[in-house]
Parts: sequence; structure tokens; C-alpha cells
Amino acid sequence: MAIGVKVMQRPEREVSYIRATLKGMSLTFKHMFQPRVTMQYPEAKSTDDWRIATRWRGTHRMMTDEQGRSKCVACGLCPQVCPANCIKLVPGEDENGNRYPLIYEIDEFRCVFCGYCQEVCPEEAIHVGVHYENSEYSRDRFVYDLERLQAQTHPVSTLWDPADPRGQ
Amino acid sequence: MSTDMVSVTIDGVPIQVAKGTMIIEAAKQAGVVVPHYCYHPSLPSPAVCRMCLVEVEKAPKLMPACVTAVADGQVVQVNSPVAKKAREGVLEFLLINHPLDCPICDQAGECELQDFVFQEGRWGSRYDDYPKRYAPVEDFGPDVLYVPNRCILCTRCVRFMESVAGDSVLEVYERGDRAFIGIDPEHALDHPWSGNVVDLCPVGSLISKDFLHKARAWELDKTASICPGCTQGCNMTIDTRDSAVVRLRPRPNLDVNRHFMCDTGRADYRWMNRGDRLEAPLWRDAAGVHACDWDAALDRLASLVAGADGAVVVLAGGRASCESIGWTLQLAGRRRRAAAMKVPMGIEAPIGLVPNLALRRERAANLEGGRLLGLSTDWVGAIALLPGTALAIVLDVDLDDADVLALEAAAHVVHFAAVLDPRMHGADLVLPIATLAEEQGVFVNRDQRAQRYLPAKSAPGMARPAWWIASQGWARAEANRRAPTTASEAFGMLEPFAGLTYRDLGLTGCTVGAGIAGAAR
Repeated sequence: MAIGVKVMQRPEREVSYIRATLKGMSLTFKHMFQPRVTMQYPEAKSTDDWRIATRWRGTHRMMTDEQGRSKCVACGLCPQVCPANCIKLVPGEDENGNRYPLIYEIDEFRCVFCGYCQEVCPEEAIHVGVHYENSEYSRDRFVYDLERLQAQTHPVSTLWDPADPRGQ
Repeated sequence: MSTDMVSVTIDGVPIQVAKGTMIIEAAKQAGVVVPHYCYHPSLPSPAVCRMCLVEVEKAPKLMPACVTAVADGQVVQVNSPVAKKAREGVLEFLLINHPLDCPICDQAGECELQDFVFQEGRWGSRYDDYPKRYAPVEDFGPDVLYVPNRCILCTRCVRFMESVAGDSVLEVYERGDRAFIGIDPEHALDHPWSGNVVDLCPVGSLISKDFLHKARAWELDKTASICPGCTQGCNMTIDTRDSAVVRLRPRPNLDVNRHFMCDTGRADYRWMNRGDRLEAPLWRDAAGVHACDWDAALDRLASLVAGADGAVVVLAGGRASCESIGWTLQLAGRRRRAAAMKVPMGIEAPIGLVPNLALRRERAANLEGGRLLGLSTDWVGAIALLPGTALAIVLDVDLDDADVLALEAAAHVVHFAAVLDPRMHGADLVLPIATLAEEQGVFVNRDQRAQRYLPAKSAPGMARPAWWIASQGWARAEANRRAPTTASEAFGMLEPFAGLTYRDLGLTGCTVGAGIAGAAR
């Protein structure tokens, strides 16, 4: 049994690919002369139109004093307030009798980046950072110890300011 | 209404209290907290802090609640605007020189200044332009540091040393804003009960060196317990952090220790945190020592007891609970020849001016409980009986070398121990037991007061309370007996305490009766 095939007899100008190709390419070439809207990450981290918000909450940074020691006094408020329970703190006493953290570790995998630690810190020591590039080759590198937290140089978050809710 | 009672209204709550009660105590009964610093129920009141000012109707001005006795028909306003304003002013004055070092202060979280400022203090200070007074930290004694900056001069410590400890080495020196608590330069704060000033201090001015920077107040889990140090049986609280005991503090019990606890008891917690604990039952045969599960261990215990061919001697330590002693004696049964408790002796250290409160010579918390249950204190006599004994049951005793040597003469030895004693390598069966911090139990103190202690942390490995091991072994040795399943049941099944339950004892204990005590003696 033969299959009935209906052959459409369309005009040549309608079935030619040349017309469609030219139409597509014209759109492409048109965009070559229009302003760029794509940010060239990672060569460019920000553009005039877009930059990371100052209240972005990324991986942590521990602030240091003039002597390069951490500002932390091991008061224990950040592990207490942390909803993810990702901060490990063991207090100790230095040679001058001052309280300081013997162990201060943040598990960045467990962290939910709420910023409560920065908000609660009475010494303005621990901060969440305006930072988002955190790739590592192994999981255990994501537990940041005190030395690593102090070595971070990225800017710190301003957090959300109730007096300026829209960040203007 | 008897004539000794007066009715007063405190913050709208009408109550009847005994004549002569101070307003602050009456308010406590009415459920109203009057903020206070210098007042303490166990100390005389000088009314120096001016924090407890309350408005008393028809009184010309605010009255200090800690020294004003109630009168019939009196109407007291604790939280009226006038009283609140006065307290706000007091708090503002206190904060002029108080440093803002709560993050590093050990008292933070249990600080009365912090609490009351948060509750009714001013939002900001009006003295920002002036530098705060500063004085260096002083070392007062073996376990006490004085931080003068934080001091609010409530003088509780001074009054404690003067009128409770009877060793007035502390005094207020200088006057006005230069005033500070000073110590007699010839003396140290080394009274055996001086550690109480740390608890009495409402702020972080007097702090314990032992607890310094160790934990924050809000991280601690608190468990009601009884000090195992001596026969006084002071009520205490075990503070644990991550299942480690970090400090012991007195728990108020006006009939036993008021609000106090001696330094010896306070410092005696490190044994509760030992890491080298025995975690599985060990039994020995010709081939050597084997670890086993509880089923095998209890069978072995039952067969040792049932097969004991002769006399049984029970040797107990002073920290064993009534339940443990009672059920170990039950396990030994009728073959028991002797049962003795080892009572270490020390120096008696009375608190000074509080009657019937001292660190006692007999350093065995459950001496009376042991007596009630049938233990003698004739340790030497019990040891002398060991040669020719079929079975010696050793219940949590600090053995000395002579005891260990004597135990070698017994045919079989069962050792209930929290920590494996290498000298006891001859024991047939070593059973891991829970310590005071890990089990429920009852101690009977020297005034026949039975007091409960509660578990503060979990026991390591397979360790179990000694009463459970002994009663299970007993149930297996004597066929068809039902062993108690809970500590409360184990307590109620003991003869001297028949009819009593843990609920009857409550958290402050009750006297188990002179009649019973007389019969036991």
C-alpha cells in the first residue's frame, strides 16, 4: 500500500534558507554595535551598573588590632546566637591574663550566612564578608580556623540597617 | 487569723505573712521580685545599696524593703513610677564607674547588675565625658580574685566574712567614689568557707580562679546534687558544660547548708570528669581477663554469689548511695559475715557563726545511710575477716595498699569500680559503675536527712548505677525475684525507707525519722 504524500508546492522565495540566514545574522551583527550588557566575569568583578551589595553576607573575616592579634575576647556570644551551630570556640587566657580564643573555628559549609555573629559581636571582631569566591579542592578546607579568618582581606558586610532599609 | 500574722498588699497582691517579716521577703512570697544588691537572706541587712527602695503607702518617702518590716494593712508598691525612677537613678550611679566588660566577665549571664539594668535601667549614660575609675585586679586568696572596677560595694562579702565566717579579713576602705573592698594586708582570704564570697557577689567583682574564663553562664546545664565530701550533706548544683563538670555551687537549703558550701567540696569535682573510666565489665578466668556484656557479667555475678562457699564480706565506700549499699547488702544476702564502710577522716572546719554547719571530720557522705542499712564502720574488723572469706564485694572504695593486700586473702573478689584499679588485678569480676554525677541516688546526712541527687551527665560506655548491677545480680542469683527497674523503686524497696518515694524527698530532702535511726544504732 502506497503512502500518500502530499507535496507542497510553495514559491521559491518562501522556502529559500538565504533569507532566514541573513535575517538571523543581521540581528547578530546589530548587537555587535550595541552597548555590552554582559559582565566579563571573572576578568571583571563588577561594572558601573552592577556591584555586589555592601550588605552581602559571605564567608567570615576576623578583624585584628594594631598588634595583629584578633579582636575576639572569646565572650561566647557568636556560638550562642548561631542558628546553624557552626562556630566552635574554646576560651583561654594569655600571658597578660586577657581572655582570648584558644580555638575559633567556623564551618562555612554549615553556616547559613545570617550575619547574626557579626551583629551580636560586642568587640566588632567577627564579620561576614562581602565575598563569594570560595572554591576549594577539599571539604576540610571549609572549616576556617582563627589564622585563616584573620588572613582574609575582603571587605566586610554592613548588614541590613533598619534606619536605611533599602540600602540607599 | 492568728495575731502573729499580718496582712499586706504588695503590688496589688494581698498576702498574709508572719509579723516581723521584711517587705522584701513578703514580696518574694507574693511573687514580686524587689531588685536588690546588699540584701541576702543569710546575711544581716545594712541597707546600703538603696536598690530595694519601694513605695509604702502613708510613708513620707521611699523605704528600703530589706529592712522595713511589714505592718498590718500596709500597701506596698514595688513597681510604681516613683520607685522605678529611684531604682533607675541608683543603677545610673552604679554604672558611672562600672566597666563595660561583660564580654570578658565571668559573671555575665548570671549578673544581677546586668539583669536589673536590662530590666529597668536607663538606656544611655549621662557620664560619657568622664573617664571611669580604674584599679588593677587584686589577688585575695587561694581561689578568689578581686576586680575593683566591677565592684558595686554591696558589702555582702564583708558581711559574710564578718558575721558568717567569723574571720573579718575584708573591709570597705576609703570613702565616697574612692571606696573599695580591701583585705587585711597581714591576711589572705583563706578561710575554709571563703569561696562563698564568689557566689554572694552579685556582680563579677569577686571571681573564682578555678572557674576563670572556663565557661559562660548560659552554656551551663545545672543539676541538683548533694556534695559527697562529708557527712554534712550540703546541697549543691553541678554545673556541666558539654557533659563535663566545670564547677560546683551551693544550692540553698535552709535546714542543711543555708546558702553556703565549703571550699573543699567546691573544688572536689575533677574526679567526675576522669577520662580513664572503666567502660565494660571485666571477668577473669584461668586464661586471663575478658571484657563482656552485661548479660554475661550479671550471670557471672549471680553464680559467684550463689556459689559462695562460706561467708561474704561487703566493703563499701562513703560515696555509695543508699540504693547501691542497700542492694549490695541484699545481693550478699544471709551469708554476709561483715559489712563495713570505709570512712576517711579529715579536719573539721566549721563555717564559724552558723550553728550545725561545718566540713565534718567524717569524709563519707552516706555514713548515716550506711548505718541505717546495716553497715558498720569497723573497717579494720571487716578487713581482718577477709582470710577464709568466700566472697568479698567491694563497692566503690578508695582502697589503700593494705586493703588491696588483705583482699588477696579472699577466695573471690567482686569489685564495683568507676575506674580500673591496677592493684586489684586479682578480682574475679570488675563491674563498671556510674558516679555521683551520673546516677540518681540518696545520701542520708548526719542529721538523718535523706537527700536526693540527680544525674548531671551520662555514664561512660556500659557503666551502670551500682544498685542496678547488684539488684539484677540478686534477681538472677535468687530465682523468680523481681529487681527494681527505677532508682526510685530501688530506694522505696529498701527496708529503712519503706514507704518513701523520691517525690516525698523532693529536692531538699526530708528527715527519715529518729525512731528508725534509734533502732539502727
